[in-house]
Amino acid sequence: MVDFFWSPFAEFAFMQRALVASLALGLISGPVGVLLVMRRMSLAGDAISHAVLPGAAIGYMIAGMSLPVLGLGAFITALLVALLASGVSNITSQREDASLAAFYLMALAIGVTLVSVHGSNIDLMHLLFGSILAVDQTALVLIASATSVTLILLALIWRVLLTSSFDPLFLAQYGRSGRLANQLFMLTVVLTFVACFQTLGTLMAVGLLMLPAVAAKFWSRDIPTACLLASAFAMTSGATGLLLSYHASLPSGPSIVLTAGAIYLVSLFVGSHDSLLIHTIRSTRHPES
Amino acid sequence: MPAALKLNDVTIAYHGHPAVHHVSGAFEQGSLTAIVGPNGAGKSTLLGAMAGLTRVNQGAIEFDQTDAQHHQIAFLRQLSGINQDFPLRVLEVVAMGAWQEIGAWGAIEGAVLSRIEAALAQVALDGFEDRLIDELSVGQLQRVLFARLIVQDAPIILLDEPFNALDTTTATDLLQIIHSWHASGRTVVAVLHDLQMVKDHFPRTLLMARELVAWGNTDEVLTADNLARAQTNSLAWQDTASWCHVPGTPEVVNRKSHHGTHHHG
Amino acid sequence: MRQLYRPLLSVITVSFLLLSTPIAQANPAPPIEVVASFSILANITKEVGGPLVNVASLVGPDADSHVFNPSPADAKSLARAQVVVINGLGFEGWIDRLVKSSGFKGALVVASNGVKPLDFKDETKSNAPEQKHSHKHDHKHNHAKDDHGAVDPHAWQDLKNGKIYAENIRAALVTVMPAARDEINARAHRYIAQIDALDQASRVRLAAVPEAQRRVISSHDAFGYFAQAYDVEFFAAQGWSTEREVSAADMAALIREIRKDQVRALFVENMSDPRLMQRISEETGVRIGGKLYSDALSAPGAGADTYLKMFSSNVNTILQALEP
Repeated sequence: MVDFFWSPFAEFAFMQRALVASLALGLISGPVGVLLVMRRMSLAGDAISHAVLPGAAIGYMIAGMSLPVLGLGAFITALLVALLASGVSNITSQREDASLAAFYLMALAIGVTLVSVHGSNIDLMHLLFGSILAVDQTALVLIASATSVTLILLALIWRVLLTSSFDPLFLAQYGRSGRLANQLFMLTVVLTFVACFQTLGTLMAVGLLMLPAVAAKFWSRDIPTACLLASAFAMTSGATGLLLSYHASLPSGPSIVLTAGAIYLVSLFVGSHDSLLIHTIRSTRHPES
Repeated sequence: MPAALKLNDVTIAYHGHPAVHHVSGAFEQGSLTAIVGPNGAGKSTLLGAMAGLTRVNQGAIEFDQTDAQHHQIAFLRQLSGINQDFPLRVLEVVAMGAWQEIGAWGAIEGAVLSRIEAALAQVALDGFEDRLIDELSVGQLQRVLFARLIVQDAPIILLDEPFNALDTTTATDLLQIIHSWHASGRTVVAVLHDLQMVKDHFPRTLLMARELVAWGNTDEVLTADNLARAQTNSLAWQDTASWCHVPGTPEVVNRKSHHGTHHHG
Repeated sequence: MRQLYRPLLSVITVSFLLLSTPIAQANPAPPIEVVASFSILANITKEVGGPLVNVASLVGPDADSHVFNPSPADAKSLARAQVVVINGLGFEGWIDRLVKSSGFKGALVVASNGVKPLDFKDETKSNAPEQKHSHKHDHKHNHAKDDHGAVDPHAWQDLKNGKIYAENIRAALVTVMPAARDEINARAHRYIAQIDALDQASRVRLAAVPEAQRRVISSHDAFGYFAQAYDVEFFAAQGWSTEREVSAADMAALIREIRKDQVRALFVENMSDPRLMQRISEETGVRIGGKLYSDALSAPGAGADTYLKMFSSNVNTILQALEP
């Protein structure tokens, strides 16, 4: 038993690093994902995650698979899209703009083209699907830093963000606007995606953000609880996915996201809130007249 | 009586069309005033400007010296602008009223917590602190927002269509609270649609149809003549004796009835 | 002494083949057209035949013989040729069909005639149990062993076999161009001497590395003859592929293997993400070596465009990685 769960990490340094990376990413994916979902910005999150690719591709054209350059390129293009998305949502906090969907498809196509022209298929695969097994000390430090900065930012903007999500005009009475908080929130989204794409790739990164967040909604709608649950789900997905990759010889990134998907399905079926089970129970009972 | 809030020739325009056109007057300190008028009359716009949320194109809104700071005005927007499906706790929403004290990071405890609990009791929502906002009915949500106003403890309170889509019990209870504010000397201004309620509960009325039609004691303002005059300025306006259900749509500016030769905006 | 019988045998074989062809044409005038199956053979043929031969190669430099699919143009060039040189030992699975369809009637030289073949079983030292009874791998790398069958065809990786190749080709060319016999023999003699010199020098250099350190992993399973001749232990990397996503299990297996076999260098070209290789290197201390040429020459000008240069390059690459 111990052997199954523990010894892969005890025996191999690359597994240890991959575990630390996925735990750190899982930790921030929880709250960021929940807030994205609560603010009805899932599509914007998707767009940003794909906007990472052209930036990384340009970084790749300049410097090959160099982590800091890729990260910087990814950060810039993702930030551009984030500001665009935030601008749209500032106007109306309920509506997701279909033009974001068009944008992220174009971004994906541009990114794939750039990498294919300038590099090999292998490199393209790694940008799209990531390689958590290739995390080195530098990458780990960057991921840990991104995690810390994100958590601090979230703590700082928490109440302002939630207040303006509920009642966008309220803070104007105190001479404040929620705009800075919104922008800082988008910054945390960008940081999370830039950290995630190194390990999970641009296609899979959004899975780690969204799946635990929507799974958490089947257990609790209270925001702080949902955030903790989503983090727990994401971290579990990370560790379990790595174990699956180790014991069943499956590719690591997709294994992590598949685990997150499995958790989502379980929540969908038997969660304590609004799940299929609950609906079935409700519909088979009728009130006494 | 000194004026809590003075309107000096206020004009507010969108895209060259005046939503509020040269309105002047004063809200006396401690007065309870209803703003009424047909759809598109600029009522919400004016209220928003008084709350400091909309820019005035011409003229000025003046406050009494001590009320000059924004936080001395509490503004309740229309319910349609609130995201009820964002699952905050009732406690957190009401606590927003204490922003002055606790700001973005202060803990909700001690004196502030007591005030919140008292406010919830006043709106008959004792024990609702931990309920989630998206579980509440519209009536309960409006009570929560009133509790927030109570916590804000501002000398001037502005309400934009506070009784839309509310059941009778809730409306009655909230009217009581408005009266208690009035009794404690606060200046209260509310945009309303139900003329009967205005006649029954609001001593002062401002009747406008982008321009000022009449402003004074309710019984003097709400005459058939005045109402007719207001109607000619804009779209049709229904005079009903009971609750009218008005969906919270933004004001529509009617281009055709712009009279006068000057342009704004 | 037994060495003498081999060239003799090949002369007899070639003569027999020639006589058995229906069209025993009058000896063609140089330069004759020769088609070799892949770049290494083409180079050896050119060295031996010099200006007397025009050599074309079916599978060019940097290309893969295993996935080669002959085209009609290839059939045409075969039809025009007087001599065709192939490796044999199962290396060109496609040659029989091609010879038939092209209507080639000239001399078919099997360069590896007389070589003592090695089985894959004998030479590989990997630890995967499935090695023993079948060579089925789950990796789609071009060098999948199930393409070869049981015998390792990469005999040219032992320079002594290279001498045999040159000898076979010499004999065939002489038979086809008897008038140029002296010139051909002289060229072959010189060339074989060069091969020999390189062979000796390589042995000495490699022997200078302590035996315990002469352990490497390569993604190609093409170095069995090299391993045996020059006493370097080659382990195979199991399950690695350029086309498949690497799993944690793959990484773990490779690391375990490196640790267990005390492998000193990893030759990873075509294996996978270089960053993963670096992680493995950091974790096990194994050195990441450069490119090893297994069954094709490099493009012209790229440092391994002749057989001898290719071999030297491999030796240098290996030595560099094994250096203390």
